[in-house]
Parts: sequence; structure tokens; C-alpha cells
Amino acid sequence: MPINLKTPVVESREQRLGTVIGWEGSAEELAVESCFKRGGGCGGQKARRVCELQSPFTQGSVCSEQMVECQAGNVRDAVLIQHSPIGCGTGQVIYNSIYRNGLAMRGLPVQNLHLISTNLSERDMVFGGVAKLERTIRDAWERHHPKAIFIASSCSTAIIGDDIDSVAAAAESEIGIPVIPLHCEGFKSKHWSTGFDATQHGILRQIVRKAPEKKQEDLVNVINLWGGDVFTPMLGELGLRVNYVVDMATVDELAQLSEAAATVTFCYTLGSYMSAALEQEFGVPEIKAPLPYGFEGTDAWLRAIAKQTNREEKAEAYIAREHARVKPRIAELRELLKGKKGYVSTGSAYAHGLIGVLRELGVEVEGSLVFHHDPVYDSQDPRQDTLAHLVDTYGDVPQFTVGNRQQYQFYALLQRIKPDFIIIRHNGLAPLAARLGIPAIPLGDEHHVVGYQGIVNLGESILDVLAHKKFHQDLAAHTKLPYRKWWLEQTDPFVLAKEKQAAQAAPRQPAALSSSVRRVGAK
Amino acid sequence: MTAHDLKTTLGSAKPIVDKTIVEKTHSIEQIRYGCAIGAMQSVVAIPRAIPITHCGPGCADKQFMNLAFYNGFQGGGYGGGAVTPSTNASEREVVFGGGERLTELIGSTLKVLEADLFVVLTGCIPDLVGDDIGAVVKPFQQQAVPIVFAETGGFHGNNFTGHERVTRAIIDQFVGPYDGAPEAGTVNVWTLLPYHNTFWRGDLTEIKRLLAGIGLKVNILFGPESAGVDEWKAIPRAQFNLVIGPWLGLETARHLETKYGQPFLHAPALPIGAGETSAFLRRVAAFAGLDKDRVEAFIADEDARYYKYIEDFTDFYSEYWWGLPARFAVIGDAGYALGLTRFLVNQLGLIPARVIVTDNPPEETRGLISAEFRAIADDVAVDVAFEEDSYTIHEILRKTDFGHKPPILFGTTWERDLARDLKGAIVEVGFPSSYEVVLNRSYVGYRGALTLLEKIYTTAVGASA
Repeated sequence: MPINLKTPVVESREQRLGTVIGWEGSAEELAVESCFKRGGGCGGQKARRVCELQSPFTQGSVCSEQMVECQAGNVRDAVLIQHSPIGCGTGQVIYNSIYRNGLAMRGLPVQNLHLISTNLSERDMVFGGVAKLERTIRDAWERHHPKAIFIASSCSTAIIGDDIDSVAAAAESEIGIPVIPLHCEGFKSKHWSTGFDATQHGILRQIVRKAPEKKQEDLVNVINLWGGDVFTPMLGELGLRVNYVVDMATVDELAQLSEAAATVTFCYTLGSYMSAALEQEFGVPEIKAPLPYGFEGTDAWLRAIAKQTNREEKAEAYIAREHARVKPRIAELRELLKGKKGYVSTGSAYAHGLIGVLRELGVEVEGSLVFHHDPVYDSQDPRQDTLAHLVDTYGDVPQFTVGNRQQYQFYALLQRIKPDFIIIRHNGLAPLAARLGIPAIPLGDEHHVVGYQGIVNLGESILDVLAHKKFHQDLAAHTKLPYRKWWLEQTDPFVLAKEKQAAQAAPRQPAALSSSVRRVGAK
Repeated sequence: MTAHDLKTTLGSAKPIVDKTIVEKTHSIEQIRYGCAIGAMQSVVAIPRAIPITHCGPGCADKQFMNLAFYNGFQGGGYGGGAVTPSTNASEREVVFGGGERLTELIGSTLKVLEADLFVVLTGCIPDLVGDDIGAVVKPFQQQAVPIVFAETGGFHGNNFTGHERVTRAIIDQFVGPYDGAPEAGTVNVWTLLPYHNTFWRGDLTEIKRLLAGIGLKVNILFGPESAGVDEWKAIPRAQFNLVIGPWLGLETARHLETKYGQPFLHAPALPIGAGETSAFLRRVAAFAGLDKDRVEAFIADEDARYYKYIEDFTDFYSEYWWGLPARFAVIGDAGYALGLTRFLVNQLGLIPARVIVTDNPPEETRGLISAEFRAIADDVAVDVAFEEDSYTIHEILRKTDFGHKPPILFGTTWERDLARDLKGAIVEVGFPSSYEVVLNRSYVGYRGALTLLEKIYTTAVGASA
């Protein structure tokens, strides 16, 4: 089933891809259950079904609106309006800091982001917030004369039913710039990555040039975050130019997405929706290959781009040159890292790539925690099955866990594996690992590990972080965790989920937890 | 030049003409506070207390990552950060109500997490769909689980509002009634908003040290110097409540006055520097009826040490060649803004060009705050502005006359670009301070003032060449 750009509301990840946020097994098992490349038998339908574990205990996750903040809110000459009480706006702080540092790293002028909250009060919950939204759109226009205005919905404005679509349409015709409603209320999707899709959906509908006058045959869309500029030199070797989107792009750069020769990404979790839609709606081919991590992945990725853009000779020369350049240092790194155990805990497709790089470096990887799992990506093309690519190229990962950043589960996972270090991107897990004496590599620059140089980069970073161990072991001797002894003794991070499942499977039995409450209530 | 002339020239903070600069609307660009559920951080600030959040999947993360991480990189604490339980409410809880899900979460939390106190905080979703949180929490309370709840949906107000609600919930639902005699010489302190104020840990430590120094037993209630729930249980026994700051904590103090008959002392200005701190301590001592000799001995000792450093600093302050800022602006919470302004004017002799209070103090407290700013010194009055929208704030500052030298701004990360444009200096002193790493640093009292001097002039000198 194709992507539907006709409605203003994006279809959630779970609807489109069958996304799950709780699962455990081996990487191979998950690849089979996902029926992407492996299974085949259940292919064809839109959302795949992977059995999901739901725990009664959950810790704070992340919502779709946050991903809209950090995508639409980081377009350089646009304004994002958060139509919500002031609390949703709190996220402006983190994404301002990340935006500023991202701009500095990319060599762009450093500036604060432009996010405006409609700052709704109790009264607005009763009478509706539409008038305030109209006024805030006016404020955004008068203050900044942006090239586009995004509007993010919120849990509260979705519940009270504010019609942001009509307000946006009216404002767009009045001001004459795209005014783009993004439906991203947190309760609508169990995984935050739907927020990436919501932003991309809005950009595709209202910013991307519908009938481009020209095609730019040497332009490649790179869907990424705030990472350093590693794609320009890489693709420059093939005579290609880079169009980075969405973070830190200008509205014009978003508009020219439809003119490019191809679309690539550093992570299909982020890039799946945009890439597939650009191909479907605008004929911009999506590169269908493993992601550019490790020798195999990078080789295949470069060759796919070269084939698409008729630059095969240049690509082969570059690949040969780069292999020769990095291999001696990688051989040294493999010596230095011999016997070290790593653990990867990042977004889904990105983790598949990182595990591959670790294995190239000779680091043992027995386990990984990914924050969600998409059984398929929007292209439905098995060449993008990054999980199967990982297993086929580098072998199985025996302890493969899916969980939406549940720190309490991470404890048992680390106890099982006892890694020497972990690789993370999202917040909240490294602090626990740190208290257990395990240092973390926080990959702020997501491009650090991309390509051939990325293998070397990661190896050097591991050496740095292993030295950090002194700090963490000292801390481990002087800290107390907030978890009960009973929980710390559990070896199965999903034990509560399985208890709940068992209780639900036996309908005459009251659920374990509600029974204790019923006892309490009876007193 | 008469005192009156001085007042008009030095106190150059003219009435804010923001109405002519930009039309005031409800919009808030570049926020300066969180919402009521941000008070989950007030729970985290109590040793061994853990918040349980009943809200959408992003609310807890938004509040802690912004109030506690990208604001001085303070950290998650014992039960904050990614530890905090949350229902991560989904469409099901919106459509069918979230009471059952909350019951399930609390029940499983008790299995997984260890705490002396749990505080359930609600977000917009349960407050809009009308979940009966009291009915969910009550059975646990009856089972002697140390748990309370507060309605903190974002539309009720900001995290200052949430802080007062959480405080009250703990007092009413956990501390409970008391009709024994008060304990002379014991004080409950209500002051800075934990985490939101970037330096609250160090500041509370200094405040406790000062009050203990003059002979008080101090229930500081939040932060590393608090004894946790035992201290909260001891609240009703205290002789009096002390509110330090222009407005936050007053509501709590009034409630305790009604509930336990405790009197309270209100010290509007956070004491920074020897002059302010000594006066503050004498006022507290008089209110509490403390032994005068002990109080004066402590003050004399602190004064002597403080002025030794000030003397040494004088060589720099009077001889440094390359120019130091003369005019300043403060953009921050009423509490810090007032304390800083008094210190900068009265200790350092700097000139206030503009002061903007950003924490949205309740309407009824604004008269007092304005009056405090008009009485900074005999010869210096400041017309303070109340504004929360950073666009408006920056427009006001761009149109402010900072005289012939580059200004120094005491503000937040939001003012970094402005300081660059004005070719001035920036000292991040409030939320958000995303380019400060803060552990136990304090800017209040005797010791904090010296640290503040180091910070101000390291910033000025460090940027000189």
C-alpha cells in the first residue's frame, strides 16, 4: 500500500510498518518474525505482525511531538508553533542547545531556534485554543517573516479538538507562505519515530516543489540529523552534491528535495518515510541498499548510489582507495580491542549498522537494545532489511531486545552481558550503565561512524572511553540504585510483562496487580 | 549631585515601553519555565522520593531533560531522569480513561522501585479526560503506602505553580495533622525552585549553613542537605517558616500558618554578599529570638573572612587596565533577579540598565516585587518589567541604553546571541543555562557571592584577548 499524502494526518508507524516497542529473542529470530527479507511467506500486507510484550511497569518514554520539535523546529528559516500549554514548549531548551552545536559543527551561523508556544491555559481547554493559534501565527509572521510556519499539535489540543488544519489553511492563503499542520500528539503513537514521519509528511505535502522545472542530476538528498559534514567529501568523490535535510536545512533546500537524483539516509528509522514518498510522488529514486556502515555496508551503499547516478567507475576507484587507506589502522585497532565486549543501545536501523562496525573492529557483541523495531520500512524493499544484512554479514546477535528506553530493563540486560562499554544515543540509559561501572560512548554526531573512516573513528572512540572506566568503577563503588532487591535479582527484563500476559491468558484469574489492589480496596 | 539626581541617572531603568516595541500577546517564544508537571523535579529534589507521572509518553522526558539536563547538566538524581515511572498514556487512556492503567503502574512501581515517598503527578491527558486520581491513590494510602498525588496538567500553570501544588499535596496527604508543641529554634525553609534554579543545590547548602551558623535547626527540605521524608514529617514541629524570595513559597507558608498555626517570616531578597547576608541573618535571628551573642559572633567571623577576599580582589577591581563592564541587565526569576540586582548595585557599584522578571509571579505579588526593585538603594531605583516571551525581552534589551561600554547580561542561554550582538558579556544564571556545568556552585550568602565575583570577572577577563 502506498504512502497517502492526501490527508493532513500521517499514518502512525504501527499502522504502516507494524512497529513494536517490546520484544526479546535473537536478531535472527526477529529478522524471521519480521518477514521483511527473511520470511517472505507473510509478505504483501502493509503492517507486519511481530508479537509484542507489554509491561505493566513503564518509565517515561519520548513522544512524537518531541521529534517534530527537533525536526521542524530546526529548519533554519521556518518557525514552529507548538499549539499546547507551556509544558510542551519546555523541549525548546534541549533542541536549541543541540541545534546551536549542530550549526557550529556544520560551519553554519549559530543562532537560537524559533519555536513559539501558544501557551494555552485552563480557559482555553474549555473554550478552545483556535483564536490563540491564529494570533500566534500572526506573531510568528510579524516577528520573523519566515519562509514557512509549522504547527505542532499536542495531546491537549487534540483532545479538545482544535481544528488546526482549517486555521493553517486560512493563514496560508492570507500570508502566502506554507503554513503546515503537523499532527503529532503524543498519545497517538506508541513510538516517537512517528514524529519524524509527521514532520516529513507535512514537508512533502506543502513544501517540496510539486512540478520541479529542473532536475539536479548531481544532487543527493541525505536525510539526517545534526551530524558533521561527512557526506559531502564522500559523495564528492563521485562528483555528487549533498542536500542535507531536515535539521538545519533551509526551506529552499527542503523544496528542492524533488529535484534530486537520489535519496539516502544514515538511518532508515529516520529516512524511511521521506525516501519512499519522494520516490512514489516525485520519482526521486531511493537508494535500496544496506546503510553505509562497515566495509560491506559502505561498499554496497556506494555502489548502489553509483549505479543510480551512473558513476560506477569513480565509485570503484574510491572504494579501492579507501579500503587501502583505512585497513592498516583498522588492523591495529583490532589488536588493541581484542577480547573487548561492546553493547549497542540506539535507534533501530542505526543499531544494526553499529553492531556491524563493532564486529569489523573485532569487538564482541552479544547483545543489543533497540528502542523500537520496524518489521519493514516504507519501501517494502528487502534490500533495505538492515537487520537481515547484519545477521547475514556478521552473524547472529543472540540477545536482541526491543524496548522503548526502559531503564529498569536495561539493568538485567547489562548483567547478562557485562560489556566493557556501551554505545548509546538517547538519554537515560548511560547513567545506569555508569553506576554499574560501564562507560558509554554517546554518539552526539550520528555521522561519526559512517563510511570507512567511521570504522576507524569508532575504534578510536572505544579506546578513549575504555580509559573512562576508572571514573565509572569508582562511581559504582559509591552509589545506590533506586531499584528494589527483588527487581535487581530478576534475570528476565520482561518478567512483569510475561506475568501480565499469563494473567490475561487466564481470563477467570484476576490480574496479579489488580488483585493486590482489590485486596487493598476491600479493606 | 543630589541623591535625587543620582536616582534619575543611575537608576536608568526607565519604565518599560514594551507596548510601543511590540504588541503583547499570549505567545511565548523561547520558554523560561516548564509546566506544572515540571514539579516532578521538586519530588526528585527530596532525597529518596520518586515521582510517578500519569501523562503522555513525552511529558516526563521533556521536563527532566530540559530542567535538569540542559540546565546546568544537573543530572537525573535518584528517582528522576529515565527512572521516573510514567503511564505513557496512549489513545486507550484518552478514550476509556486512565485510572486502571495508573493503578497498574503504581502497583508495579512498588515492586520495582524503592522510595520513602511516591508522588503521583498528572499531565494534561488525565486532567482533561477527568481521571479520578484520588480514587486510584486512596487504596494505596490506606495500605500505608507513602504516596500522594497532585494535579499538575500543563494548562494549570507553570512549574512554579506545580511546585506549590506538590508541596501542599505532601503536607496534606503525607505529613498530616499535628497538635503538639512547637520546637523552638527549628525552621522550615521555602525558597528557590529546585532544578529550575540552576544553582539551587549549592544555594540551599549555603542557606542551611548560614541558618545553622546562627543557631537554628534547619529543615531545608530539598537537595543534598535535606534529611528526606523525616525532615518533611518534622515540618509541623518547627517554630516558624522562612520564605526567602519575593513570592515562591508564600502560598505554602500561609497554608502552614492556617494548618499548624506556624508563623512565617518573609525575606523577599535572596541574600548575596556580606551586607545583605548579615542583615538577613539579623532579621531571622530577631524573629526567632536567637541568642544575640552567638549570632553576632557568627556574622563577625563570616564578615572577616569575606572582606579579606574582597580586599584582595580590590587590587584587580581598581587596577585592571582593560575595562570592566559598568551597566548590566538581569533577566531571570524574581528571586534571583532581586538578589543579584541588590548585590551588583550595592556591593560592586554597577549600574542597572534593565531588569526583567520572567517567572510570571502571581498578580497579587507584583506590587511588592516592584516596590522591592524601586528600593534597591537610597540612590538607585529600578522599574522592573514582567515579561516571559523571549522575543519581547530581547526587543526590550536591544532598545536599552547601556551607555558607552559593552554591557554585561545576567540571563540565560537565550541571551547568548543578544550578548554577541551587543558585544557584551553573558553570565548564565537561570533556566535555561545550557552552557554551564553546575555541581555545588552557589551564588548566595557570603561564600556564594565570592564565587559569583569569580564568575563575573573570569567571564569579562577571559574574553579580553
